[in-house]
Amino acid sequence: MILIDKLSYASQIRYKSPFLKCGFGMGTLCVCVAARSFIVSLFIMAVMGYLTVRFSKVSFCRYLKMMAVPLSFLILGTIAIAVDFPKEPMGFFDLAIGERYVSVSVSSLTYSLRLILTALSSVSCLYFISLTTPMLDIIQVMKKIRLPWMIIEITILMYRFIFILSDMAAAIMLSQDCRLGNISFRKKIDSMGQMLSVLLIRALNKANKLYDAMESRCYDGKIQVLWDNEKAEKKDICMVIVFFAVLFVLTAISKIYGGI
Amino acid sequence: MNKKKRIVIAASAGFAMAFFMPQQADAMHIMEGYLQPVHCIAWGIVCVPFLVAGFLSIRKTLQKNRKVLMILMMAGAYAFVLSALKIPSVTGSSSHPTGTELGAILFGPSAMAVLGILVLLFQAILLAHGGLTTLGANTFSMAIAGPFVAYGIYTLCKKFNVNKSVSVFVAAFIGDLFTYIVTSFQLALAHPSEVGGIGASFAEFTAIFAVTQIPLAVIEGLVTVAVMKGLESFAAPELTQLGYLKEGR
Repeated sequence: MILIDKLSYASQIRYKSPFLKCGFGMGTLCVCVAARSFIVSLFIMAVMGYLTVRFSKVSFCRYLKMMAVPLSFLILGTIAIAVDFPKEPMGFFDLAIGERYVSVSVSSLTYSLRLILTALSSVSCLYFISLTTPMLDIIQVMKKIRLPWMIIEITILMYRFIFILSDMAAAIMLSQDCRLGNISFRKKIDSMGQMLSVLLIRALNKANKLYDAMESRCYDGKIQVLWDNEKAEKKDICMVIVFFAVLFVLTAISKIYGGI
Repeated sequence: MNKKKRIVIAASAGFAMAFFMPQQADAMHIMEGYLQPVHCIAWGIVCVPFLVAGFLSIRKTLQKNRKVLMILMMAGAYAFVLSALKIPSVTGSSSHPTGTELGAILFGPSAMAVLGILVLLFQAILLAHGGLTTLGANTFSMAIAGPFVAYGIYTLCKKFNVNKSVSVFVAAFIGDLFTYIVTSFQLALAHPSEVGGIGASFAEFTAIFAVTQIPLAVIEGLVTVAVMKGLESFAAPELTQLGYLKEGR
């Protein structure tokens, strides 16, 4: 099973309005990316981290582990940004190799630190949305912003079938393991290929059967899902407005003081 | 397993082993918040024509045959599951494939662009790979650039009667490499180096991500070949069914 999906259904604020939750998360995300400052990022990370850990059934340790998912990208990307190869030394850290230097300047260091903070706090906004709002509610939001019906239809069905297919894949892989299908590297590649081709065939069969079943029940190209969320409460809306006000003040302050 | 295949696998294994492999080598999603707003919007706009073209072609085929919707969503779910699986790698660490090259060969590149953005959305929300603000940039590199190149190479090879396995391998391998180069370029544009500007930082990004991406491309090429072999040996009717998706191109 997909962990984030499971957790989102167990969240305490699952039944709050998805429009408010998505608006809150996305709005904060946009401010965070646009502001690119230390204090705004730290503030957002603290608030989002607190809200997510408080309202969804994630322990703090698990949350930290989840935040580390994009870590390999972050480390590699930051190395590429922070390190330069100039002909003269640049100040903060220099290592002479032949005619050139491997060096990190103070400005590139602050640039990359700021980038790391911005990226991590954006990830915390993303986690707020995905850990408190189940996918079907997010699809409701997609419906509300008038995406074409076909896209919504494909998204709903895709969401349903992701789980069926991943269960199937897990079962096939387990039985391959039992029969020593992964004993050597060459066998691994072979088993993987066999598994994926069988998976595709079974997936297409399922799709055909699904089509027949739905057609015989008068499917006309639209699946209507009942929706059991409450409307946004006034109290919550006020809180969100206050939060955004604080956020804008912080952004303005950090802009005045040169993007701290 | 014939001799040629054995040689290819041995060579690629050695090649991958030569690199230091980190614990988790993902396909190269640009993470949330890594690009400036201007770049997010610009890459989103670049994607729009491809998405509209894909959308229109899907809608046209849909009017002829409603079943295509089911096949499409299954293709999307398949692409997602494929990218969430751990593919084998030499040193015991895990890596996730892009999967879009296989999708492009099977379903056609324009359908893949539309499916790709949905798959990337699911990946961002359910797996925290990639992100919502970087959706446009990731869609361009993974769901548009890579698949179109892979499909182009595949059709080119077919025209010149190249061995089928070789052409599938080359298409998937080059498609993967192209995705990684486009991503490096996007990163370089967003974060030019202090010395040498965009060119220098493009070189740095390419060099550093080569550690994870080149072995991944080789392995993904091999897996794609294995999948196509498996499909051809016992799935001829299903493959003709997929022909529906390519008709509307």
